[in-house]
Amino acid sequence: MNYLTSIKKVILLQNTRALMCAASSVQNELLTTQKVPWGALLTNRQYRSMPTHGIGKYRHLLPKTLPKKKKDKIQMKQIKAASDTEFGVLNVCVSGYDMTLVEHYSQYIHNFCNHLDIKVVESYALPTKTTEVMVMQDQGTKMYVDGILKTYERFVQISEMKATLCPIFMEVLLKNQPEGVQLCVKEHTEADFQSRFKARPELEGLIAKMNN
Amino acid sequence: MAAPFRCIYRPLWRVITGSGRLTVGMRNISFTENHFSATNHKTASVGSPWTLHGAVCLQRLPVISQDRNPIEEEFSGLMQQMELERSLLSDHELRLLEDAARMSRKQEEDYDSDEEEDYGDKEIVTAQDLEDAWEQKLKQFHPAQRSNGDKLDVSSSERCLADSLVLLIKQDVGSQKVWLLPQVQWKAGETLRQTAERALAHLPDVKATFLGNAPCGFYKYKYPKDIQKEGSVGAKVFFFKAVMCSPNHLPLEKNSFAWVKKDELKDFLTPEYLKQVNRFIMSL
Repeated sequence: MNYLTSIKKVILLQNTRALMCAASSVQNELLTTQKVPWGALLTNRQYRSMPTHGIGKYRHLLPKTLPKKKKDKIQMKQIKAASDTEFGVLNVCVSGYDMTLVEHYSQYIHNFCNHLDIKVVESYALPTKTTEVMVMQDQGTKMYVDGILKTYERFVQISEMKATLCPIFMEVLLKNQPEGVQLCVKEHTEADFQSRFKARPELEGLIAKMNN
Repeated sequence: MAAPFRCIYRPLWRVITGSGRLTVGMRNISFTENHFSATNHKTASVGSPWTLHGAVCLQRLPVISQDRNPIEEEFSGLMQQMELERSLLSDHELRLLEDAARMSRKQEEDYDSDEEEDYGDKEIVTAQDLEDAWEQKLKQFHPAQRSNGDKLDVSSSERCLADSLVLLIKQDVGSQKVWLLPQVQWKAGETLRQTAERALAHLPDVKATFLGNAPCGFYKYKYPKDIQKEGSVGAKVFFFKAVMCSPNHLPLEKNSFAWVKKDELKDFLTPEYLKQVNRFIMSL
């Protein structure tokens, strides 16, 4: 097997037709040198000796991916602590009522971080929150729905930002903030990470029952 | 220690030609990173002939977005038109069309109201009525003025709402009155950022947030020959950036302070000072 894999590596490196021929012929030889009943030799198909045999193969070039198990619990990435000269993990939160402005601004922040070589760990969005504005009627006690407002939130997670770069970064962000968009920069905590998941009331009920 | 400071300190190294003096300033700044450790840092060279000052570059951020160029206006108009033409009808517009169709069906002779499905209470309030009510509400809303024109002079902080303004103060330096960024001399035992905060405290009622512990700029000047004593050759000023939280009027004398844009700075500051200050003030 070692011999076969080393032959394949040589093919990868040099990738010439002659070697392919040599490889296929060597493979054929290997097959024939094993104890195979001669009836099986007739099943050697002719095109395997073609120089272009296997020319479209690419699976062996891809990295080996293990099949993903669905039951894997999503682990939180380790939150780095702040050191003397660098911040730890910061969350830049952009929120507002106008989705185009919020998204464009968060994309601007992301591109700006890439340009300044600040490491962006993650860039995610929280679910949209719908607020109904209810107005009291003039002549009655009933409230009617005046309007529906949707609040959008986008997060850009930054890690290891140098403390000397921070004032410049903040100033550019503040000066380019569009109207109607709120900017908030806070430290990333485990509670922030857990707030992204949906609450599971049945599981919590069962755990409470177990503990009681 | 050199590596993390690469970004800011490159300009400083270009400015300072003397070799040993920089270490004093550097040590001050490195300890201000943890602002809760205001311990006495080891300022090695006690006999430095340069006095240190901390100054604050207080900025009022732009309140509204800038006006668009003619090209940008045209393009935004074109994009809006294209989006409108490509979009689907919304719920409200569908309702408008349905109401109009129902109206036209009502006018016909062989109209049977029992055939209508899902009539409900849509007859009471049609979509057109809703739209009219909304239009009325919009007319009652008066947005604030975008530009106050030239009525406001340099000392008001509500001047150009689309640009960021910097606060300048007329201070006594030596014997003359000079326009400067607010600065105050450093006292032993405090960090340079605290010096800058003190400089800001001299102007009462101003709430500002400092953007960081690292200074953004530097300026050094020598005293004139007659004032130069044995100990002091000149002064070094370190600038810190701060952002004003709430707009308010400074209760100072009329001519002693000004809010200026970046291109107006040259009317107020001396050329040498202006050259250093221009490096860290962004014209965004």
